[in-house]
Amino acid sequence: MSGPGSDHPTPDRSVLAAEYVLGVLNAAQRREAEARIARDRAFAAEVAAWQAHFAPLADEIEPVEPPMYAWPRLSSALFAKPARSGLWESLRFWRGFAIGAGALAAAAIAAVFVLPRQPPAPTPAAPMVAAINLDDGKPAFLAAIDTERGTMLLLPVTVAIPAERVAELWLIPPNDKPHSLGVVDVAKPMSIAIPIALRGAVGVQAAVAISVEPLGGSPTGQPTGPVIAKGGITSL
Amino acid sequence: MLRAICRSGGSGAGALRRDERMIDAVDGFSGSGRLREALVGVAAGDRGAFETVYRLTSAKLFGVCLRILTKRSDAEDVLQETYTAIWHKAALYDPERASAIAWLVMIARNKAIDRMRADANDRHAGPIELAADIGDAAGQPAVATEADDERRGLDRCLGELEPRQRGLIRTAFFEGVTYENLAARGGVPLGTVKSWIRRGLIKLKACLER
Repeated sequence: MSGPGSDHPTPDRSVLAAEYVLGVLNAAQRREAEARIARDRAFAAEVAAWQAHFAPLADEIEPVEPPMYAWPRLSSALFAKPARSGLWESLRFWRGFAIGAGALAAAAIAAVFVLPRQPPAPTPAAPMVAAINLDDGKPAFLAAIDTERGTMLLLPVTVAIPAERVAELWLIPPNDKPHSLGVVDVAKPMSIAIPIALRGAVGVQAAVAISVEPLGGSPTGQPTGPVIAKGGITSL
Repeated sequence: MLRAICRSGGSGAGALRRDERMIDAVDGFSGSGRLREALVGVAAGDRGAFETVYRLTSAKLFGVCLRILTKRSDAEDVLQETYTAIWHKAALYDPERASAIAWLVMIARNKAIDRMRADANDRHAGPIELAADIGDAAGQPAVATEADDERRGLDRCLGELEPRQRGLIRTAFFEGVTYENLAARGGVPLGTVKSWIRRGLIKLKACLER
């Protein structure tokens, strides 16, 4: 073949196949090679042979565990269910959780569910809840909204966030973009004050979601990391 | 370990169990048969089997993506694209032509290389050492897998290449970089790098087919 410095002739079929498998071609050449794989059986066979030849090299590549949220993100993208499905299951879980949870959570839940039903309230607003579910249907957080006080009680259930990242809570009104409700604690219950401007948007048409963000929360005001859990708000 | 992981994720088609044992016996490697079974399940739309494939292979494929793309967020995106493609295309997997893991690695490499080309943002910028001791496969201990014969053949034939050819070919495979990138990093004219690699590939093929 040509010597160093001389013009390089068009490579033969096998060399082109090897170059494609190796990955040295540029984008346009890769598209050409893929088109040829589709129409030229002999070329496709050469590509397959080179794939097999080079396959053992991949043994030398060190495995690296992907982040924990990669699987929920993937399966949620592939298998996402309508927002309201699994609600009954989630509510049962919610009640079970409320009975079994520690004193703080129990007291907080009592405050949300019991106080609004006390007689003096003229028109008690129906309590609203949301199961913020991972894609597999398991709740990451459970939320109870006290519309009169404009607060949301958030209980972490099964949620893991990678190191150096935080979970951020979003309120998504119908036909609107997400509005941040702030960075949330994944380890203990917390009460969140819903900004006055957003209180009107909290309703059974709205959804809440959790995204993974850099420390300090989303720098843009919109989710920048993967959304790992979401759920629709429902009225009890 | 691998077997335990597979068991715990067991959701595959029970009818395949006997075939799988036969494959295990032939391979002498339980993981490959189970991965193959799970991939067959994915082709049939079995989500549990898909999760098994993910748990058995995601660290390997993430390593492949990360080696090529170097930036974690890019590698995470491409990992997602890769498994999305696996979910939709598992029916195209042909056990006669490739081991299951080789097929999955191929998809990950192709997606990662395409992403790198699309970004036109090649982060592999370190110098390439073309000296004899770099990329010398002879020192690599062979891992005991069902691909032992292929591995020994490739090691032997890469060992017959000039060291600079071997180094360039190995770097190209692991990093998925273009001829242009290799030339710039090696401080060698483009035509020279192409010529070295192409002659290396021709020699490699002749050796592998011997």
